Amino acid sequence: MNSNSDKDALWYKDAIIYQVHVRAFHDGNGDGIGDFLGLEQKLDYLQELGITAIWLMPFFPSPLRDDGYDIADYNSVHPSYGTLEHFRKLLDSAHQRGIRVIIEMVLNHTSDQHPWFQEARSSQNNPRRDWYVWSDTDTRYKNTRIIFLDTEKSNWAWDPTSKSFYWHRFFSHQPDLNYDNAEVREQMWNVMKVWLEMGVDGFRLDAVPYLVEREETNCENLPETHSILKELRRRLDQNFPGRMLLAEANQWPADLRPYFGDSDEFHMAFHFPLMPRMFMGLKLEDRKPITEILHQTPEIPPSCQWSLFLRNHDELTLEMVTDIERDYMYDMYARDKTMRLNLGIRRRLAPLLNNDRRRIELMNVMLMSLPGTPIIYYGDEIGMGDNISLGDRNGVRTPMQWTGGWNAGFSTAEPEKLYAPIIHDPVYGYPAVNVTSQKECEHSLYHWMRRIIAVRKSSAVFGRGSIEFLYPANHRTLAYLRQLGNETVLIVNNLSSAAQAVELDLRRYKGNVLIEMFGNNLFPRVGDLPYLLTLGPYQSYWFRLRRV
Amino acid sequence: MREMIVNELTQAVQDLARGFAHYLPRFIVMLILAFVGWLIAYVVKVILRSVLRLIKFDRLSENAGTSQLLAKAALPSATEMLSRFVFWVTWLGFILLGVSVLGILGLQEQVARFFLFLPRLFVAVVILFFGMLAAGFSARAALLASVNANVPSPRLLSLAVRSIIMVFVLSVVFEELGLAEQTMLVAFGIAFGALMLGLAIAFGIGGRDLARRFLEEKFVRNKKEQDEDELSPL
Amino acid sequence: MEDGNFLTDGFLRQLINVGEVDILVGLPTHNNARNVGSIVHTIRDGILRGFPRERAVIINADGGSRDGTPELITSVSIDDARPASSVYALRTLHAISTKYAGTPHSGVALRTILAAAELLRAKACIVMSPESESITPEWVSSLLRPVYYDGFDLVTPTYRRHKFDGLLMTNLLYPMVRALYGVRIREAYMPEFGFSGRLGSEFLGKNRWNDGIGENGIELSLTLAAVTSGFRVCQSFLGKKDPVERRSADLVPTLRQTVGVLFSALESDFELWSAVSGSKEVSTTGSDQELVLDPLRVNRKRLREMFVRGVSELESVFQSILSPSTLAELKRIAGLGEEEFRYPAELWVRTVYEFAAAYRKSVINRDHIIQALAPLFRGRVFTFVVENRSGSATDVANNIEGLCLEFERLKPYLLEMWKSKE
Repeated sequence: MNSNSDKDALWYKDAIIYQVHVRAFHDGNGDGIGDFLGLEQKLDYLQELGITAIWLMPFFPSPLRDDGYDIADYNSVHPSYGTLEHFRKLLDSAHQRGIRVIIEMVLNHTSDQHPWFQEARSSQNNPRRDWYVWSDTDTRYKNTRIIFLDTEKSNWAWDPTSKSFYWHRFFSHQPDLNYDNAEVREQMWNVMKVWLEMGVDGFRLDAVPYLVEREETNCENLPETHSILKELRRRLDQNFPGRMLLAEANQWPADLRPYFGDSDEFHMAFHFPLMPRMFMGLKLEDRKPITEILHQTPEIPPSCQWSLFLRNHDELTLEMVTDIERDYMYDMYARDKTMRLNLGIRRRLAPLLNNDRRRIELMNVMLMSLPGTPIIYYGDEIGMGDNISLGDRNGVRTPMQWTGGWNAGFSTAEPEKLYAPIIHDPVYGYPAVNVTSQKECEHSLYHWMRRIIAVRKSSAVFGRGSIEFLYPANHRTLAYLRQLGNETVLIVNNLSSAAQAVELDLRRYKGNVLIEMFGNNLFPRVGDLPYLLTLGPYQSYWFRLRRV
Repeated sequence: MREMIVNELTQAVQDLARGFAHYLPRFIVMLILAFVGWLIAYVVKVILRSVLRLIKFDRLSENAGTSQLLAKAALPSATEMLSRFVFWVTWLGFILLGVSVLGILGLQEQVARFFLFLPRLFVAVVILFFGMLAAGFSARAALLASVNANVPSPRLLSLAVRSIIMVFVLSVVFEELGLAEQTMLVAFGIAFGALMLGLAIAFGIGGRDLARRFLEEKFVRNKKEQDEDELSPL
Repeated sequence: MEDGNFLTDGFLRQLINVGEVDILVGLPTHNNARNVGSIVHTIRDGILRGFPRERAVIINADGGSRDGTPELITSVSIDDARPASSVYALRTLHAISTKYAGTPHSGVALRTILAAAELLRAKACIVMSPESESITPEWVSSLLRPVYYDGFDLVTPTYRRHKFDGLLMTNLLYPMVRALYGVRIREAYMPEFGFSGRLGSEFLGKNRWNDGIGENGIELSLTLAAVTSGFRVCQSFLGKKDPVERRSADLVPTLRQTVGVLFSALESDFELWSAVSGSKEVSTTGSDQELVLDPLRVNRKRLREMFVRGVSELESVFQSILSPSTLAELKRIAGLGEEEFRYPAELWVRTVYEFAAAYRKSVINRDHIIQALAPLFRGRVFTFVVENRSGSATDVANNIEGLCLEFERLKPYLLEMWKSKE
């Protein structure tokens, strides 16, 4: 799989990525916790769906106080998920099916249980002392915001052992590594090298904006951070060409741009600000939030790619919106305050959209057709629900629902042994929502997802083409053209719950016939007059423009 | 000789009797016609009076100004006058019809001419009536407009408007009736022309100031008289 | 819906693109480029501040301006096709304009706005005047909130204005509507007001627009229709009202639009107003009325002169309208000198009621009856100005209240005249 051919060098642009939580996907050994073995058993399912890459959430040894993002050992796997051998086997099986594997790499911090930190805190003279950021007071870097607002009061935590404060941008049990220390930088590269040599195709680098701290700054996106990342990339390209780095940086588009550098930093980055605006546009029934944020999105180098998503393992973040917008989103999508967390909303896709099939489809249509690589969160392809009563963000990390039977087919263990209860309410519960029954029903969401993924893969224009918005006077419709070489695709979406009529200015394409891409039926030729289309509630059209 | 006289007498009496025999039936018919005509005319008068009352004809004629004229002449109301007029015309028509039955040659011709004249008379009355109505309306409109525009001598202006229209209406009426048509037309022309000339001179000289003020108001918007504030009614 | 034919194709297309809205702001214009730019920006601010989440549209019904008025209005729209706009808004805000057919007048403009409101199913609407220079963004909320949140159907404005501003309102329209219809609405004829989609649709459907009812101003008709049909009416205090520049020549058209409409309405509304006695307050947000007492130079002499001339020159006309006793009394006071001249409240009320009765019976042409009222109104203005020239705000308010009570007290007199010679 890891060939050096140019064709594969930009594989991430055409990828369909599936974000999967090892613990939640499938239990292979019957202990109630998902594992590599179980995941391997389900690779056929992912291949049928059309997935070309999986992104595995952290599986390293960890006290699991932040669902694995608090790593206690970078060179191994958590015993609950299996062994390194299991992982290698998973890797090979995936590659055989043409599925690439992306894993997490948390660069910014470790668990406080990591041996490095245990050593660092043991005394002020320890050789690893300088691997973390220490201070005698908690007043340094005071311009820095707190990310986990609901649980943390400060970015400094007191260590009673070494009687000083240590810096943590996330939970207090996740001390930040000190990237001003060359040893730290070297060590982290070595960690990455281990996995690259094993065969992983890429890393999602968690929390990259926060690597370096400086006084009088907000300690985010600093030039020193970018230098470190560029160095990482250089080493990657030199030693492991064709592998990919994906940045997790929840920033405004203009602040995200530097993470691509001159094609010398990250290959991909999540487009965080777009995601809440897609939900907002849907509720407002107005395309303005979506087109505006994409208009503000800067051009990125040709080899780089945005990563698009609807939901993920975290809360639907509302950090990158205005106060008015945040209040609107809270009122529309999270009236119940228990759903709100850390300036976000902790719900899955289907419950957010009230299980409205049409809206779920529309959101996925936009995910698949806007410029960027789509990432599907596990379970959203069948419309899984969530369990808010599980604290923090665990409500969206419940076991995958495979069947309507024992433990939803997730595990053969006793139900009490499962790492988390399975959703069993009448609407989203596993008897109603599961892979098996959806596979049997031709018109299920699962099959619809398969079809749309197939249509997207049928043309490179979606992953690699440009985007041009049309601005029809009907603001409830979102219409844009994707172009690559001679190929042009027109996407028209109705964001409204009511039928709409829209007139599009396609004069430049006069003489072209429109071919609807799902049914391959012909639509009238473009003439001099505005092209009139009518759309049902939340309906979309994908047209290929063909000059006959 | 006696025989001749007797023969002549007999002849004369016979002629008389023949004449009687010839005219008496016609005379009786004429009387019957007159009587029937009276009945019909009466019925028509009653119906017309009711109809006129229904359409509030008196109100209309008050607007026309005819009621005021009638009142000044101590005549009954317009409804009554019109009803009576129609009564008499109808009855007269029947009487004349009866007369024509008599077969007196010259008379028949006159009767025919009378009947031919009737429509024109009717039209003339209608023109006169509506003309007076229009004159009254326009005169009042002119009066109100000039009072509200603070134009001097509004009543004179109103009278002038009424006069012009009445002169015009009268000339049309006379023309319709065929009475001294040419004279009336010429007279109207002269009167109208003279009136206009007189008004022009009067307004031109006397209304200089007014004209200036009018033009100022129209074209120089910001002029306020004597630094005062204009009150807005709403 | 026959109103579809009333709107042009181009405007209908624009309405299709706007789609259903929650809030509609109507702005009738004709050559208002001098002020309308700042006014429409203020309106937009008002919408963004008071109703940031609601779907809103600004509709301009223009009578054929040649000074760029429509362009000034449509330029405030906020949409993604023009992302350079520096104004932040949660959603798209359309501002569209249409030229209605025929000569410019407010009836057709308002009908266009009502038709658009019905097609767009607007829940709450307001009509703003392009001449209100003193408008603030809060005016939008003040007029919309009662409709949008509190379920009222008509919101009439109240203002802070000079005690001598709007005397036709305080001396005739307000007291007469109050006495006859039983509601204390300060500004029954209003340049800006709020209304519900319900009321708009009902009013649009009910009126026989082709009979020329729109010719003479619909605002007062709308108020009366709301009252007679049982819609919920309230008042909302807006703020300072600038007096509109008027010339004395504008009084007669103003009378047509207000008194003429009121007198016409009395006929059709007889069942209702004949049964009403007394009057009730309507729900009011903010103050009912605020008076500014700055000194004002008024040409009182001219007012009295026009009254005197009117009484003498129009005697023949008044004979058809007024009762002999009222006319005699008017002639008597016309003969008084400037110092003694007074047009007392009771006489004024009788005058107005007799005019109303004469209008109903069409003793002469109705428009002439309205015109004949103008000089008498001037006489009344004179008296009001004299009586209130140095009073406090309370005194002035009491005087107006006294006049209102007089209208209410003499209502039986009107009824008696109305029913006689049926």
